[in-house]
Amino acid sequence: MMAIGIGGAGGKIAAKLDSQATLVNVSETEMGKVNGGGRRILAPVHAANGQFRGSRKNPSIGEDAYRTIRREMKELIRGNMVFSSTGGGTGNGITTGILKDIAAVDEIAVPDKTFFSLVLPYDKLESAEFVENSINFLSGPLATAIDSGNTGNIVLFSNRLKFTEKIAEDRYNQMMVDSLKVFLSIPDKNDSMRLLDGHIDHEDFALYISKSFFNHFSHFNYDPSVSFEEQLEEHSNPLLLPPEAAIEALFLLEVPEGGDPTIFYDILEYFASKKVSPIYSVVENPALRTPFITVSQLYSRKPLELVDDFTRINETHVQAKVEKSIEQHVVLPKLEVNLDEEAKRAGKEKGVGEDVLATLKRLGKL
Amino acid sequence: MTKEPEELRDLLQLQVSRLGYGHYLVLYWCAQGEGMSVKYNITNCFDDLKHCGVTRTKQTAVGVIETLHVLGYVDVKDERNRKNIYITRWGAKALQQLVLSNRYETKESLYLKEIQS
Repeated sequence: MMAIGIGGAGGKIAAKLDSQATLVNVSETEMGKVNGGGRRILAPVHAANGQFRGSRKNPSIGEDAYRTIRREMKELIRGNMVFSSTGGGTGNGITTGILKDIAAVDEIAVPDKTFFSLVLPYDKLESAEFVENSINFLSGPLATAIDSGNTGNIVLFSNRLKFTEKIAEDRYNQMMVDSLKVFLSIPDKNDSMRLLDGHIDHEDFALYISKSFFNHFSHFNYDPSVSFEEQLEEHSNPLLLPPEAAIEALFLLEVPEGGDPTIFYDILEYFASKKVSPIYSVVENPALRTPFITVSQLYSRKPLELVDDFTRINETHVQAKVEKSIEQHVVLPKLEVNLDEEAKRAGKEKGVGEDVLATLKRLGKL
Repeated sequence: MTKEPEELRDLLQLQVSRLGYGHYLVLYWCAQGEGMSVKYNITNCFDDLKHCGVTRTKQTAVGVIETLHVLGYVDVKDERNRKNIYITRWGAKALQQLVLSNRYETKESLYLKEIQS
């Protein structure tokens, strides 16, 4: 699978994961800020006074830009991984275009599904615009695309840990990529290590990641003397949004040479109690001293539930802004506004473009 | 729906996304002129683009019209020593997309305004 990085944030992550990643951006200036990667696709978009040099955190500019590369992107994303942030203009806008196109298709075959890794802003410390863009994205195009069943897995990375632990951007991107690599290496480990139980081959894995659900994966040293449920909760992946109840699951248990290959039964029992039958395999990894597990849970979440946390924070942002304005005791000048005149003026302004369309219809050209 | 009309729609979208402010204004003024049964020519177009601050040179104005002509969005006809510009049906579709996207601010043509008054 090839990585496709959209916008600044998506580009940086994709380039770290895959040296041949395709990077997409709206301007040379923005593109120049991303190191590495392979092919670069420019999606130019013009403003009244020249070409835009960025998307000004405005997703509609990104979506306009997508139209210029739509045909190319439709081919490119087939069976590949898309990385994007949901807060800015370019990533959000171009990915919105991609998701709308995906949702409009009747059915997409398993090998052609696209795996999405999306980076969500940390609502407490990042700009309210980022949060608002993300809310619109999650509840709009992403929800529609998931409903169509045409996406692959969707991984929701969160910037929370980056801000709470004050981690440098480059290091945080590396952490996200390293974590994802552990998950993506499952079929290769099944190929290269001695199998003790079960099996996850490339086809099983491809089918699993082609399902249109959110994917929460985590990996940790597994202690068979402690309940799996407790360990799973404790080792929830801090880079991702917390998961909801799993619909499907997959795990790879690596045990040291000569280790007990039966400790996985407890894990199966845990999932059985949740009415989930996971795909799994147990392999022997001579490089390990303690068992290590990589576990993925696929879950579904209604879009409104997903944005609920964001919305609350967003409202707090707005309230804080209003309170700040009140504290400043700003005296607003009294404006004499004739509402009729204003309405006429606004109507005339809005109608200018549409007048000419009416003219063209009258002339039989539309 | 067959594949061909979708491809044509994509091509039109691609072309429209590459149109600049000058192209928009010229298409707009041509349509407005035709609506008023006024002939709108290259000289009027240059004067209006200059007045709006889009360009200061006639070459650029001619370039804008030439592009629209090559794309099939306008016809340029030699009539009584004047090169008059007429918007085509494709030009109308392109203008419709630009108007509905609200990408550009519309400015008045000084020439058409004077005639109207």
